[in-house]
Amino acid sequence: MAPKAMKVFRDNLGVNNPVFVQVLGICSTLAVTNVLKNTLVMCLGLIFTTGLSNMTVSALRKWIPPRVRMMVEVLIIACYVIVVDIALRAYYPEISRQLGPYVGLIITNCIVMGRTEAFGLSNPPFVSLVDGLSAGIGYSYILLAIAFARELLGSGAVWGVRVLGDWWVNWSIMVMAPGAFFMLALVIWLINSQWMARAAAGKEKKP
Amino acid sequence: MTTSAKTRERVWTVTFMFIVTLFSMSIVSALSLVTRERVERNASLFLYKAVLEAAGMEVPGSPEAVLKQYAAAVTAATNGTGPAHFRVTDPGAQAPRSYVFVQTGSGLWGSITAVVGLRGDLSGLTGLTFTDQNETPGLGARITEDWFKAQFRGRKGPFTIVPEGTKSASPQEFDGITGASITTRAVRDVVNRVVANGPAWAAEGAR
Repeated sequence: MAPKAMKVFRDNLGVNNPVFVQVLGICSTLAVTNVLKNTLVMCLGLIFTTGLSNMTVSALRKWIPPRVRMMVEVLIIACYVIVVDIALRAYYPEISRQLGPYVGLIITNCIVMGRTEAFGLSNPPFVSLVDGLSAGIGYSYILLAIAFARELLGSGAVWGVRVLGDWWVNWSIMVMAPGAFFMLALVIWLINSQWMARAAAGKEKKP
Repeated sequence: MTTSAKTRERVWTVTFMFIVTLFSMSIVSALSLVTRERVERNASLFLYKAVLEAAGMEVPGSPEAVLKQYAAAVTAATNGTGPAHFRVTDPGAQAPRSYVFVQTGSGLWGSITAVVGLRGDLSGLTGLTFTDQNETPGLGARITEDWFKAQFRGRKGPFTIVPEGTKSASPQEFDGITGASITTRAVRDVVNRVVANGPAWAAEGAR
Protein backbone atom coordinates (compact mmCIF):
# COMPACT_ATOMS: atom_id res chain seq x y z
CA MET A 1 0.00 0.00 0.00
CA ALA A 2 1.17 3.49 -0.82
CA PRO A 3 2.54 5.41 2.17
CA LYS A 4 -0.21 8.02 1.94
CA ALA A 5 -2.96 5.40 2.01
CA MET A 6 -1.20 3.73 4.95
CA LYS A 7 -1.13 6.99 6.89
CA VAL A 8 -4.77 7.74 6.09
CA PHE A 9 -5.73 4.27 7.27
CA ARG A 10 -3.87 4.61 10.58
CA ASP A 11 -5.10 8.14 11.22
CA ASN A 12 -8.74 7.21 10.76
CA LEU A 13 -8.40 4.49 13.38
CA GLY A 14 -6.53 6.74 15.82
CA VAL A 15 -5.76 10.45 15.82
CA ASN A 16 -8.48 11.28 13.28
CA ASN A 17 -11.10 8.79 14.48
CA PRO A 18 -14.59 9.82 13.36
CA VAL A 19 -16.24 8.97 16.67
CA PHE A 20 -13.95 10.08 19.47
CA VAL A 21 -12.01 12.83 17.68
CA GLN A 22 -14.45 14.28 15.15
CA VAL A 23 -17.49 13.19 17.22
CA LEU A 24 -19.51 12.36 14.11
CA GLY A 25 -22.18 9.72 13.62
CA ILE A 26 -23.37 9.96 17.20
CA CYS A 27 -27.02 9.43 16.25
CA SER A 28 -26.39 5.82 15.29
CA THR A 29 -24.16 5.34 18.32
CA LEU A 30 -27.21 6.02 20.45
CA ALA A 31 -29.65 4.04 18.37
CA VAL A 32 -28.07 0.71 17.51
CA THR A 33 -25.51 -0.07 20.21
CA ASN A 34 -27.74 -1.81 22.74
CA VAL A 35 -27.42 -5.22 21.08
CA LEU A 36 -24.11 -6.42 19.63
CA LYS A 37 -25.58 -8.25 16.63
CA ASN A 38 -27.46 -5.23 15.26
CA THR A 39 -24.39 -3.08 15.78
CA LEU A 40 -22.21 -5.37 13.71
CA VAL A 41 -24.60 -5.38 10.75
CA MET A 42 -24.94 -1.61 10.99
CA CYS A 43 -21.14 -1.26 11.05
CA LEU A 44 -20.67 -3.52 8.02
CA GLY A 45 -23.30 -1.50 6.13
CA LEU A 46 -21.53 1.70 7.05
CA ILE A 47 -18.06 0.45 6.06
CA PHE A 48 -19.43 -0.65 2.68
CA THR A 49 -21.25 2.64 2.08
CA THR A 50 -18.57 5.02 3.24
CA GLY A 51 -15.83 3.17 1.33
CA LEU A 52 -17.62 2.92 -2.00
CA SER A 53 -19.35 6.31 -1.92
CA ASN A 54 -16.04 8.00 -1.12
CA MET A 55 -14.42 6.21 -4.04
CA THR A 56 -17.28 7.04 -6.43
CA VAL A 57 -17.34 10.71 -5.50
CA SER A 58 -13.57 10.79 -5.92
CA ALA A 59 -13.79 9.18 -9.37
CA LEU A 60 -16.35 11.77 -10.46
CA ARG A 61 -14.70 14.71 -8.72
CA LYS A 62 -13.44 16.34 -11.94
CA TRP A 63 -16.93 16.45 -13.45
CA ILE A 64 -19.10 17.25 -10.43
CA PRO A 65 -20.30 20.89 -10.73
CA PRO A 66 -19.29 22.56 -7.43
CA ARG A 67 -22.72 24.09 -6.95
CA VAL A 68 -24.53 20.77 -6.75
CA ARG A 69 -21.76 18.65 -5.23
CA MET A 70 -23.72 17.94 -2.05
CA MET A 71 -26.75 16.77 -4.01
CA VAL A 72 -24.54 14.43 -5.99
CA GLU A 73 -22.90 13.11 -2.81
CA VAL A 74 -26.22 12.40 -1.12
CA LEU A 75 -27.51 10.75 -4.26
CA ILE A 76 -24.51 8.42 -4.49
CA ILE A 77 -24.62 7.62 -0.78
CA ALA A 78 -28.37 6.94 -0.90
CA CYS A 79 -27.88 4.65 -3.86
CA TYR A 80 -25.35 2.47 -1.99
CA VAL A 81 -27.44 2.42 1.18
CA ILE A 82 -30.53 1.26 -0.70
CA VAL A 83 -28.43 -1.47 -2.28
CA VAL A 84 -27.49 -2.64 1.24
CA ASP A 85 -31.11 -2.40 2.36
CA ILE A 86 -32.45 -4.41 -0.58
CA ALA A 87 -29.74 -7.04 -0.19
CA LEU A 88 -30.58 -7.47 3.50
CA ARG A 89 -34.31 -7.69 2.80
CA ALA A 90 -33.81 -10.31 0.12
CA TYR A 91 -31.11 -12.48 1.70
CA TYR A 92 -31.15 -11.75 5.44
CA PRO A 93 -34.81 -10.97 6.20
CA GLU A 94 -34.40 -11.65 9.93
CA ILE A 95 -31.64 -9.09 10.38
CA SER A 96 -33.41 -6.62 8.12
CA ARG A 97 -36.51 -6.87 10.28
CA GLN A 98 -34.53 -6.34 13.47
CA LEU A 99 -32.71 -3.29 12.19
CA GLY A 100 -35.92 -1.75 10.87
CA PRO A 101 -35.37 1.82 9.69
CA TYR A 102 -31.77 2.07 10.89
CA VAL A 103 -30.20 0.83 7.65
CA GLY A 104 -31.92 3.61 5.70
CA LEU A 105 -30.61 6.06 8.25
CA ILE A 106 -27.01 5.35 7.20
CA ILE A 107 -27.75 7.91 4.46
CA THR A 108 -27.85 10.63 7.08
CA ASN A 109 -24.79 9.38 8.97
CA CYS A 110 -22.52 12.40 9.14
CA ILE A 111 -19.38 10.29 8.71
CA VAL A 112 -20.27 9.20 5.18
CA MET A 113 -20.99 12.66 3.89
CA GLY A 114 -18.14 14.12 5.96
CA ARG A 115 -15.62 11.83 4.28
CA THR A 116 -16.86 12.49 0.73
CA GLU A 117 -16.91 16.23 1.37
CA ALA A 118 -13.58 16.47 3.17
CA PHE A 119 -11.61 13.74 1.42
CA GLY A 120 -13.24 12.23 -1.66
CA LEU A 121 -13.65 15.55 -3.47
CA SER A 122 -9.93 16.34 -3.34
CA ASN A 123 -8.17 12.95 -3.53
CA PRO A 124 -7.78 10.16 -6.09
CA PRO A 125 -10.12 7.14 -5.95
CA PHE A 126 -7.88 4.49 -4.37
CA VAL A 127 -6.80 6.62 -1.40
CA SER A 128 -10.44 7.68 -1.04
CA LEU A 129 -11.55 4.08 -0.88
CA VAL A 130 -8.98 3.38 1.83
CA ASP A 131 -10.04 6.53 3.66
CA GLY A 132 -13.71 5.60 3.53
CA LEU A 133 -13.14 2.01 4.62
CA SER A 134 -10.86 2.98 7.48
CA ALA A 135 -13.22 5.72 8.68
CA GLY A 136 -15.90 3.02 8.75
CA ILE A 137 -13.63 0.66 10.67
CA GLY A 138 -12.64 3.43 13.08
CA TYR A 139 -16.31 4.02 13.75
CA SER A 140 -17.07 0.32 14.01
CA TYR A 141 -14.58 -0.72 16.67
CA ILE A 142 -15.71 2.04 19.04
CA LEU A 143 -19.36 1.15 18.44
CA LEU A 144 -18.75 -2.55 18.94
CA ALA A 145 -16.94 -1.85 22.20
CA ILE A 146 -19.84 0.30 23.41
CA ALA A 147 -22.38 -2.28 22.29
CA PHE A 148 -20.48 -5.04 24.09
CA ALA A 149 -20.56 -3.08 27.36
CA ARG A 150 -24.19 -2.04 26.96
CA GLU A 151 -25.48 -5.49 26.12
CA LEU A 152 -23.48 -7.03 28.96
CA LEU A 153 -24.65 -4.54 31.58
CA GLY A 154 -28.15 -4.00 30.19
CA SER A 155 -29.15 -7.56 29.35
CA GLY A 156 -26.44 -9.66 31.02
CA ALA A 157 -25.72 -11.14 27.61
CA VAL A 158 -23.13 -11.18 24.84
CA TRP A 159 -24.30 -11.75 21.26
CA GLY A 160 -27.77 -12.63 22.57
CA VAL A 161 -26.42 -15.40 24.83
CA ARG A 162 -26.87 -14.83 28.54
CA VAL A 163 -23.47 -14.98 30.21
CA LEU A 164 -24.12 -13.41 33.60
CA GLY A 165 -26.05 -15.62 36.00
CA ASP A 166 -29.40 -15.02 37.67
CA TRP A 167 -27.69 -12.94 40.37
CA TRP A 168 -27.19 -10.18 37.82
CA VAL A 169 -29.82 -7.43 37.81
CA ASN A 170 -30.08 -5.83 34.36
CA TRP A 171 -29.36 -2.12 34.21
CA SER A 172 -32.35 -1.03 32.15
CA ILE A 173 -30.79 2.37 31.57
CA MET A 174 -27.99 0.73 29.60
CA VAL A 175 -30.30 -0.46 26.81
CA MET A 176 -32.01 2.92 26.54
CA ALA A 177 -30.54 5.98 24.82
CA PRO A 178 -29.07 7.58 27.98
CA GLY A 179 -26.93 4.47 28.47
CA ALA A 180 -25.26 5.19 25.15
CA PHE A 181 -24.56 8.77 26.20
CA PHE A 182 -22.86 7.57 29.37
CA MET A 183 -20.80 4.91 27.61
CA LEU A 184 -19.77 7.21 24.78
CA ALA A 185 -18.79 9.95 27.23
CA LEU A 186 -16.72 7.44 29.20
CA VAL A 187 -14.99 6.19 26.06
CA ILE A 188 -14.16 9.70 24.84
CA TRP A 189 -12.98 10.71 28.29
CA LEU A 190 -10.78 7.64 28.71
CA ILE A 191 -9.21 7.95 25.28
CA ASN A 192 -8.67 11.68 25.49
CA SER A 193 -7.28 11.69 29.02
CA GLN A 194 -5.05 8.63 28.64
CA TRP A 195 -3.91 8.20 25.12
CA MET A 196 -4.54 11.45 23.25
CA ALA A 197 -3.18 13.63 26.05
CA ARG A 198 -0.03 11.56 26.16
CA ALA A 199 0.36 11.81 22.39
CA ALA A 200 -0.07 15.59 22.58
CA ALA A 201 2.45 15.86 25.42
CA GLY A 202 4.94 13.84 23.40
CA LYS A 203 4.57 16.23 20.49
CA GLU A 204 5.07 19.32 22.62
CA LYS A 205 8.32 18.04 24.10
CA LYS A 206 10.02 17.79 20.71
CA PRO A 207 11.25 21.39 20.20
CA MET B 1 -18.77 35.50 -23.89
CA THR B 2 -19.17 35.31 -20.11
CA THR B 3 -22.93 34.87 -20.46
CA SER B 4 -22.47 31.92 -22.77
CA ALA B 5 -19.92 30.38 -20.38
CA LYS B 6 -22.41 30.82 -17.55
CA THR B 7 -25.18 29.26 -19.61
CA ARG B 8 -22.94 26.38 -20.52
CA GLU B 9 -22.12 25.82 -16.85
CA ARG B 10 -25.80 25.81 -15.94
CA VAL B 11 -26.69 23.40 -18.68
CA TRP B 12 -23.83 21.15 -17.60
CA THR B 13 -25.00 21.24 -13.97
CA VAL B 14 -28.50 20.16 -14.91
CA THR B 15 -27.29 17.57 -17.41
CA PHE B 16 -24.84 16.09 -14.93
CA MET B 17 -27.46 15.88 -12.20
CA PHE B 18 -29.86 14.28 -14.64
CA ILE B 19 -27.34 11.64 -15.73
CA VAL B 20 -26.29 10.76 -12.19
CA THR B 21 -29.91 10.53 -11.05
CA LEU B 22 -30.92 8.40 -13.98
CA PHE B 23 -27.94 6.12 -13.49
CA SER B 24 -28.44 5.52 -9.77
CA MET B 25 -32.19 5.15 -10.23
CA SER B 26 -31.69 2.44 -12.82
CA ILE B 27 -29.29 0.53 -10.58
CA VAL B 28 -31.67 0.63 -7.62
CA SER B 29 -34.75 -0.20 -9.71
CA ALA B 30 -33.01 -3.08 -11.44
CA LEU B 31 -31.87 -4.54 -8.13
CA SER B 32 -35.30 -4.11 -6.65
CA LEU B 33 -36.90 -5.89 -9.61
CA VAL B 34 -34.40 -8.73 -9.48
CA THR B 35 -35.00 -9.36 -5.79
CA ARG B 36 -38.74 -8.61 -5.70
CA GLU B 37 -39.89 -12.19 -5.87
CA ARG B 38 -37.48 -13.17 -3.14
CA VAL B 39 -38.56 -10.32 -0.88
CA GLU B 40 -42.24 -11.15 -1.36
CA ARG B 41 -41.57 -14.81 -0.70
CA ASN B 42 -39.70 -13.88 2.49
CA ALA B 43 -42.66 -11.80 3.63
CA SER B 44 -45.25 -14.52 3.07
CA LEU B 45 -42.95 -17.18 4.53
CA PHE B 46 -42.64 -15.04 7.61
CA LEU B 47 -46.43 -14.87 8.03
CA TYR B 48 -46.79 -18.62 7.38
CA LYS B 49 -44.19 -19.41 10.02
CA ALA B 50 -45.94 -17.11 12.49
CA VAL B 51 -49.32 -18.79 11.87
CA LEU B 52 -47.84 -22.27 12.36
CA GLU B 53 -46.03 -21.16 15.49
CA ALA B 54 -49.17 -19.57 16.96
CA ALA B 55 -51.06 -22.78 16.23
CA GLY B 56 -48.53 -24.54 18.45
CA MET B 57 -47.03 -26.58 15.62
CA GLU B 58 -43.41 -27.42 15.09
CA VAL B 59 -42.11 -24.94 12.49
CA PRO B 60 -39.84 -26.70 9.96
CA GLY B 61 -36.48 -25.17 9.15
CA SER B 62 -36.46 -25.18 5.36
CA PRO B 63 -38.69 -22.79 3.36
CA GLU B 64 -40.04 -25.62 1.19
CA ALA B 65 -41.16 -27.59 4.22
CA VAL B 66 -42.89 -24.52 5.67
CA LEU B 67 -44.80 -23.96 2.43
CA LYS B 68 -45.81 -27.62 2.31
CA GLN B 69 -46.96 -27.75 5.92
CA TYR B 70 -48.84 -24.46 5.58
CA ALA B 71 -50.65 -25.61 2.45
CA ALA B 72 -51.63 -28.87 4.14
CA ALA B 73 -52.78 -27.50 7.48
CA VAL B 74 -54.00 -23.93 7.08
CA THR B 75 -57.10 -22.43 5.46
CA ALA B 76 -57.69 -18.70 5.52
CA ALA B 77 -61.21 -17.88 6.71
CA THR B 78 -62.28 -14.48 5.50
CA ASN B 79 -66.07 -14.60 5.44
CA GLY B 80 -68.17 -13.00 8.17
CA THR B 81 -67.83 -9.56 9.68
CA GLY B 82 -64.99 -10.43 12.04
CA PRO B 83 -61.30 -9.93 11.13
CA ALA B 84 -59.55 -12.32 8.78
CA HIS B 85 -58.14 -15.36 10.51
CA PHE B 86 -56.70 -18.80 9.80
CA ARG B 87 -58.09 -22.23 10.57
CA VAL B 88 -55.33 -24.74 11.28
CA THR B 89 -56.08 -28.46 11.11
CA ASP B 90 -53.85 -31.41 11.97
CA PRO B 91 -53.24 -33.78 9.06
CA GLY B 92 -56.13 -36.23 8.78
CA ALA B 93 -58.19 -34.55 11.51
CA GLN B 94 -61.64 -33.07 10.95
CA ALA B 95 -62.06 -30.53 13.76
CA PRO B 96 -59.67 -27.57 13.65
CA ARG B 97 -56.66 -27.73 15.90
CA SER B 98 -56.45 -24.00 16.25
CA TYR B 99 -57.91 -20.67 15.15
CA VAL B 100 -55.19 -18.10 14.52
CA PHE B 101 -55.90 -14.36 14.66
CA VAL B 102 -53.71 -11.46 13.60
CA GLN B 103 -54.32 -8.44 15.80
CA THR B 104 -52.60 -5.08 16.16
CA GLY B 105 -52.20 -2.95 19.27
CA SER B 106 -50.17 0.14 20.09
CA GLY B 107 -46.88 -0.31 21.90
CA LEU B 108 -44.47 2.34 23.08
CA TRP B 109 -42.86 3.31 19.75
CA GLY B 110 -45.34 1.99 17.23
CA SER B 111 -47.84 -0.72 16.57
CA ILE B 112 -47.36 -4.30 17.69
CA THR B 113 -48.86 -6.99 15.48
CA ALA B 114 -49.49 -10.18 17.38
CA VAL B 115 -50.46 -13.56 15.97
CA VAL B 116 -52.56 -15.38 18.55
CA GLY B 117 -53.75 -18.97 18.30
CA LEU B 118 -56.80 -20.29 20.16
CA ARG B 119 -57.38 -24.02 20.62
CA GLY B 120 -59.95 -25.57 18.32
CA ASP B 121 -62.26 -26.22 21.28
CA LEU B 122 -61.56 -22.65 22.50
CA SER B 123 -60.27 -23.95 25.83
CA GLY B 124 -57.06 -21.93 25.80
CA LEU B 125 -54.21 -20.50 23.75
CA THR B 126 -52.08 -22.62 21.45
CA GLY B 127 -49.45 -19.97 21.07
CA LEU B 128 -48.47 -16.36 20.57
CA THR B 129 -45.94 -14.71 18.33
CA PHE B 130 -45.30 -11.32 16.76
CA THR B 131 -44.92 -10.30 13.14
CA ASP B 132 -44.27 -6.63 13.68
CA GLN B 133 -43.02 -4.56 16.60
CA ASN B 134 -40.76 -1.54 17.03
CA GLU B 135 -40.13 -1.75 20.76
CA THR B 136 -36.80 -0.90 22.41
CA PRO B 137 -34.28 -3.69 21.71
CA GLY B 138 -33.30 -5.30 25.00
CA LEU B 139 -36.40 -3.98 26.76
CA GLY B 140 -39.81 -4.05 25.08
CA ALA B 141 -38.49 -6.10 22.19
CA ARG B 142 -37.97 -8.97 24.65
CA ILE B 143 -41.62 -9.85 24.04
CA THR B 144 -40.28 -11.76 21.03
CA GLU B 145 -38.13 -13.99 23.26
CA ASP B 146 -39.28 -17.55 23.73
CA TRP B 147 -39.73 -17.46 27.50
CA PHE B 148 -42.20 -14.60 27.13
CA LYS B 149 -44.23 -16.13 24.32
CA ALA B 150 -44.22 -19.60 25.88
CA GLN B 151 -45.95 -18.51 29.06
CA PHE B 152 -49.25 -17.99 27.21
CA ARG B 153 -49.33 -21.48 25.77
CA GLY B 154 -52.12 -23.63 27.21
CA ARG B 155 -53.50 -20.82 29.34
CA LYS B 156 -57.04 -19.57 29.04
CA GLY B 157 -57.02 -15.89 30.03
CA PRO B 158 -58.18 -13.14 30.26
CA PHE B 159 -54.71 -12.23 31.43
CA THR B 160 -53.29 -9.98 34.11
CA ILE B 161 -49.65 -8.93 34.50
CA VAL B 162 -47.41 -9.90 37.40
CA PRO B 163 -43.82 -8.72 37.87
CA GLU B 164 -41.04 -10.41 35.90
CA GLY B 165 -39.53 -13.43 37.61
CA THR B 166 -42.65 -14.24 39.65
CA LYS B 167 -43.21 -17.96 39.40
CA SER B 168 -46.95 -17.81 39.02
CA ALA B 169 -49.07 -20.87 38.38
CA SER B 170 -52.42 -19.13 38.09
CA PRO B 171 -53.90 -19.61 34.61
CA GLN B 172 -54.62 -15.89 34.30
CA GLU B 173 -51.27 -14.37 35.22
CA PHE B 174 -48.23 -13.80 33.05
CA ASP B 175 -44.86 -12.24 33.77
CA GLY B 176 -44.44 -8.72 32.48
CA ILE B 177 -41.07 -7.31 31.43
CA THR B 178 -39.32 -5.04 33.90
CA GLY B 179 -38.80 -1.61 32.37
CA ALA B 180 -41.31 -2.21 29.58
CA SER B 181 -44.71 -1.76 31.22
CA ILE B 182 -46.33 -0.04 28.24
CA THR B 183 -45.25 -2.79 25.85
CA THR B 184 -46.42 -5.51 28.24
CA ARG B 185 -49.80 -3.83 28.69
CA ALA B 186 -50.20 -3.56 24.92
CA VAL B 187 -49.53 -7.28 24.56
CA ARG B 188 -52.00 -8.06 27.37
CA ASP B 189 -54.72 -5.99 25.68
CA VAL B 190 -54.20 -7.57 22.27
CA VAL B 191 -54.24 -11.10 23.68
CA ASN B 192 -57.28 -10.37 25.84
CA ARG B 193 -59.12 -8.97 22.83
CA VAL B 194 -58.61 -12.27 21.02
CA VAL B 195 -59.57 -14.25 24.13
CA ALA B 196 -62.80 -12.24 24.42
CA ASN B 197 -63.83 -12.08 20.76
CA GLY B 198 -62.04 -15.05 19.19
CA PRO B 199 -64.87 -17.57 19.71
CA ALA B 200 -67.39 -15.27 18.03
CA TRP B 201 -64.99 -14.49 15.17
CA ALA B 202 -64.23 -18.16 14.67
CA ALA B 203 -67.95 -19.07 14.63
CA GLU B 204 -68.64 -16.36 12.05
CA GLY B 205 -65.78 -17.46 9.85
CA ALA B 206 -67.08 -21.04 9.87
CA ARG B 207 -70.52 -20.05 8.61
